Amino acid sequence: MFTVSAMVGLSLGEKQFIKGGIAQDLRTDGRKRSTYRPIFVETGVIPQANGSARVMIGATEVIASVKAELGRPNPSHPDKGKLSIFVDCSPTAEPSFEGRGGDDLASELSLALERCLLGGKSGAGAGIDLASLSIVEGKVCWDLYIDGLVISSDGNLLDALGAAIKAALSNTGIPKVQVASGASPDELPEVDISDEEFLQFDTSRFPVIVTLTKVGSHYIVDATSEEESQMSSALSVSVNREGQICGVTKRGGAGLDPSVILDMIYFAKTISEQLINKLDSQIAAAEACEEDDS
Amino acid sequence: MAGKGGATPATYAPSPSTKKDKKKPSTFADADWVRPDGRSFHQCRPAFLKTAAVNSASGSAYAEFGSTKVIVSVFGPRESKKAMMYSDVGRLNCNVSYTTFATPIRGQGADSKEVSSVLHKALEGAIILESFPKTTVDVFALVLESGGSDLPVIISCASLALADAGIMLYDLITSVSVSCLGKNLVIDPLPEEESNQDGSFMIACMPSRDEITQLTLTGEWSTPKINEATQLCLDACKKLGKIMRSCLKEAVSGGSQEEEL
Repeated sequence: MFTVSAMVGLSLGEKQFIKGGIAQDLRTDGRKRSTYRPIFVETGVIPQANGSARVMIGATEVIASVKAELGRPNPSHPDKGKLSIFVDCSPTAEPSFEGRGGDDLASELSLALERCLLGGKSGAGAGIDLASLSIVEGKVCWDLYIDGLVISSDGNLLDALGAAIKAALSNTGIPKVQVASGASPDELPEVDISDEEFLQFDTSRFPVIVTLTKVGSHYIVDATSEEESQMSSALSVSVNREGQICGVTKRGGAGLDPSVILDMIYFAKTISEQLINKLDSQIAAAEACEEDDS
Repeated sequence: MAGKGGATPATYAPSPSTKKDKKKPSTFADADWVRPDGRSFHQCRPAFLKTAAVNSASGSAYAEFGSTKVIVSVFGPRESKKAMMYSDVGRLNCNVSYTTFATPIRGQGADSKEVSSVLHKALEGAIILESFPKTTVDVFALVLESGGSDLPVIISCASLALADAGIMLYDLITSVSVSCLGKNLVIDPLPEEESNQDGSFMIACMPSRDEITQLTLTGEWSTPKINEATQLCLDACKKLGKIMRSCLKEAVSGGSQEEEL
């Protein structure tokens, strides 16, 4: 369901080749099991949004945009803003995304992203501190809408989307808001949105997602869709800079031994350090590039 | 919500839990607090399980874990819908719904689409789909009362219903969740605990094969804590597996039973 395995037409020989290569730590594109494809980040690609980014990992390409709107906080959390993640899988990327196939994948990806990036109920481990989105407690807050779009799909969509959201959030400027004083407590306070001053998010604690795909008895990072079609199961682990695990989701039906799962989580933690550094330098480079242009 | 000064509230919404919630987080952070139902941190609620709860279904089960009450029916294997393509392995279709009266506020059950997809992923690894090509097995779960840890109860109950329907399984699936509250790990959490948790951890596993089919984790966890939670869940899953097995045996000889985990 999660993969587009049905669309990858592979012969028995090709399947054997992929599996054999992974077993010998030399994958079809020459990578090792723990090597990522080159990652490329571009920020500020959508002028209409408060923040946006395009991330390419090999042939996989995704866009994330962040839109902020004023809204009312949830009555159960009056001191917090709201954040929602939606993913859209356009059929332009892959014919199988048309109709239900795309919807299923999209909802599964959004669910996995929410689980990996938004933290627990009390807000522990969240990538973004929702309390920072509050303007007037119980009255006005920012609603942050994060939209992901899959433009081209060649495996490892979740990691790419996670990286794109991180880049888009560090690119996001939330307008500064002045609250008119003297409004009575019952009415909605008047707010004045500044169009010059912007607040930046602190994304240093934002986790990255590392998906480990198990093919045969080995697991690999950054699987292409050909490799994903041969997977028995995959574990997506989100890790923040402190090395804390912020979310885990498993996909693929096959069962895994508990010790293998703990091994994979530990491995993901090691990999994530390099990935965070690589991503941060890419984001910084993209931001610098954007400033030069403007 | 206008919280202040209302002598006569405009609308009446019974919300017994919201008042308490505001005070609770401070107590949950303490090293030793007492759980709302007086259990110890690593103690599960008493479970009541019964198979053949619905007559018209091929197999069904009813589970009651504390106040969480779930009924699951399994239909099939029956012919897949005409629109479906030919498939040489069977299909599994899962659907979870909440009754409108399952929650304190009417119709506030969890998103059924999300729950259904997790249920599907938890079960598909245990079913021998090759044993019924071209056909579909439907698993319909209904949450009668949502009393915390709904999803693990649904998963365990569904696997019991599948077994009752005579669907070929590699093993029963049992599922247990753990909440992280402050420094403590709390097994089989209640709604009050779930709404204040710092992190949640859920495992669905095949106890006799010692394989994990589904695992979800949210919040912030260190690796030693994940180890601890996994051990805790697996132990509880093993015990639950034994209870489910004896429930199935009991069903053959007649009668049902209640046991404490």
